[in-house]
Amino acid sequence: MAEGVKTSPNQGGFRFKVRGPRDFYGGLVLIALAIVAIWASGDLPGMHGFAFGPGTAPRLFAGMLAAVGALVALSGLLFDGPPIENYAIRGPAWVILGILAFAGMIRGVHLGFATIPPLGLVPSTFAAFIISICGSTETRWVEGLIAAVVMTAFCVALFVYLLQLPFQLWPWY
Amino acid sequence: MSELLANLALGFSVAAHPSNIGFCLLGALVGTLVGVLPGIGTVATVAMLLPITFGLPPVGALIMLAGIYYGAQYGGSTTSVLVNIPGEATSVVTCLDGHQMARQGRAGAALAIAAIGSFFAGCVSTVLVAALGTPLTSLALLFGPAEYFSLMVLGLIFAVVLAKGSVLKAIAMIVTGLLLSMVGSDLETGAGRMTFDIAELSDGIGFTNVAMGLFGFAEIIRNLEMSQESRDIVKGKIKGLMPTRQDLIDSSGAIARGTLLGSLLGILPGGGAVVASFAAYTFEKRISKTPQRFGRGAIEGVAAPEAANNAAAQTSFIPLLTLGIPPNAVMALMVGAMTIHGIVPGPQVMTKQPELFWGMVASMWLGNLMLVIINLPLVGVWVTLLRVPYRLLYPSIIVFCCIGIYSINNSPTDVVIAAIFGLFGYWLAKHDFEPAPLVLAFVLGPLMEENLRRAMLIARGDATVFLTRPISGGLILLATGLLVIAALPMIRKRRDEVFVE
Repeated sequence: MAEGVKTSPNQGGFRFKVRGPRDFYGGLVLIALAIVAIWASGDLPGMHGFAFGPGTAPRLFAGMLAAVGALVALSGLLFDGPPIENYAIRGPAWVILGILAFAGMIRGVHLGFATIPPLGLVPSTFAAFIISICGSTETRWVEGLIAAVVMTAFCVALFVYLLQLPFQLWPWY
Repeated sequence: MSELLANLALGFSVAAHPSNIGFCLLGALVGTLVGVLPGIGTVATVAMLLPITFGLPPVGALIMLAGIYYGAQYGGSTTSVLVNIPGEATSVVTCLDGHQMARQGRAGAALAIAAIGSFFAGCVSTVLVAALGTPLTSLALLFGPAEYFSLMVLGLIFAVVLAKGSVLKAIAMIVTGLLLSMVGSDLETGAGRMTFDIAELSDGIGFTNVAMGLFGFAEIIRNLEMSQESRDIVKGKIKGLMPTRQDLIDSSGAIARGTLLGSLLGILPGGGAVVASFAAYTFEKRISKTPQRFGRGAIEGVAAPEAANNAAAQTSFIPLLTLGIPPNAVMALMVGAMTIHGIVPGPQVMTKQPELFWGMVASMWLGNLMLVIINLPLVGVWVTLLRVPYRLLYPSIIVFCCIGIYSINNSPTDVVIAAIFGLFGYWLAKHDFEPAPLVLAFVLGPLMEENLRRAMLIARGDATVFLTRPISGGLILLATGLLVIAALPMIRKRRDEVFVE
């Protein structure tokens, strides 16, 4: 295959040039997902007589996913398609970190290297807000801090006082 | 006819109870408030607000949820018109002409016509739901496992047909959704399936976590990549709220046609409201004497899809309340809410709990009325909300989502799962996979498996039962036909014309 005008990142070992990398790699990931599912449901009993076992449907759907994923990858191999977009790191990383911080702090968590005690709604909300705010390139700190305080107060007022949900508010309560 | 009136009277007597009117008003208000936020669609809004209805009595909770649903839908339209960000799939079409009208300083007229169109559609389809509910319930008795399975296949095929890009990729998303829905305990044997020995997964992956991750978090991550201008908020002031006489005359036909189209399409399972708004817009453009005005601020281009999407939203309660099949993701959440309150959706709801069924039907109309009352005076308030810069808005949305997810089960693991689905949704977007079919399949998956298992057992392992039983065979035939039509590239090209000016 000649060096195309629409160059796309090509794996050195491939004999064929991948024409639609977005579909090709998308399909490959789906196949991988299907293989994981087949492996994970492998220990479940299958059909006995006319009756489905617990493992029948998962393996059926996983098999279908592998087949469709292969077709998607094949279409990416054969037909021209758009290149893979660049993945941003900063936005996703901070946003996910903020969400995980909330999950870890609200009731505490035992990690391999450290233990976070249950900290309650107020610190968790505040931390999640501050961490996720870092994901943007337009952050203004003073404004962000004020917004975090206001939002935390709003959430406490809404969820705890108005909607009466049973939340632990502070680490010491 | 007299029975219809008696039923509606029963419904209104339930819905008009002061506390229920209060729930409906509160639901519509909160639904609009959250739905108007850019990037939060109907599914996310309903998912997020679901917990606040847990403490209410069943009828009140469902009436409030219905209010939230309509509020969220109208809120999405408001965002579309004002800032050109569709909150959800159904408001994509409203963006086309609505935002152009806003740029011409006619945002008030666009929002008012959307509210009026929705209200008219709501009135008509409420009567339709009441009239069709009973006959469709008797139809439900003809449905065995094979028919249910085929009906759900049809619903999934609808979702494929509606998806924007490649048909193959939409099918891939359907299968992924089906596979993900298999995680959790097996219904018959209780065996843990693909749970990786994680205790929280033994009940399956929560729908809210999937929806919130794929739509809420993924959308925020996507938006952070965009430049500031592309999501900039209107700075201008909205002048002249009410549409002119000419506007009303221009849009009356479009509203009527949109209502009709929406009511019909909404009954079909699988994203009825989305197809309704697209179809209504395309139809108006086709029959218009001046199609070139569409996309440049034609008021019919706002009126028709808004009426259609509201009518469809209403009639999509029919398959839920009579057959117990959720036709879309929002209805699936409603099933979840019903189950929490100990109500099994299906034909028996109408006979065993008539006050619940008819109360909900009546509250639909009431919900629409509330929307008109709430939204016309409050447009100014929504605009202020949208002036919050995105750099402050998105952390607020994240925090709100986190608390919402956590509060459902008091489970931090659910929040982590939602975060994983957020990343997965980001990856899907990068590879042009649409999350909507995945979510629908995720919802239908366990139901499909159950009916497939039963049908196969009854037919003694004979898979042709889906084709030989007449109703089931007809549904499969219809699904196949639709799939063929969608797969024909020529038709797909024509379908894309909706987006071309």
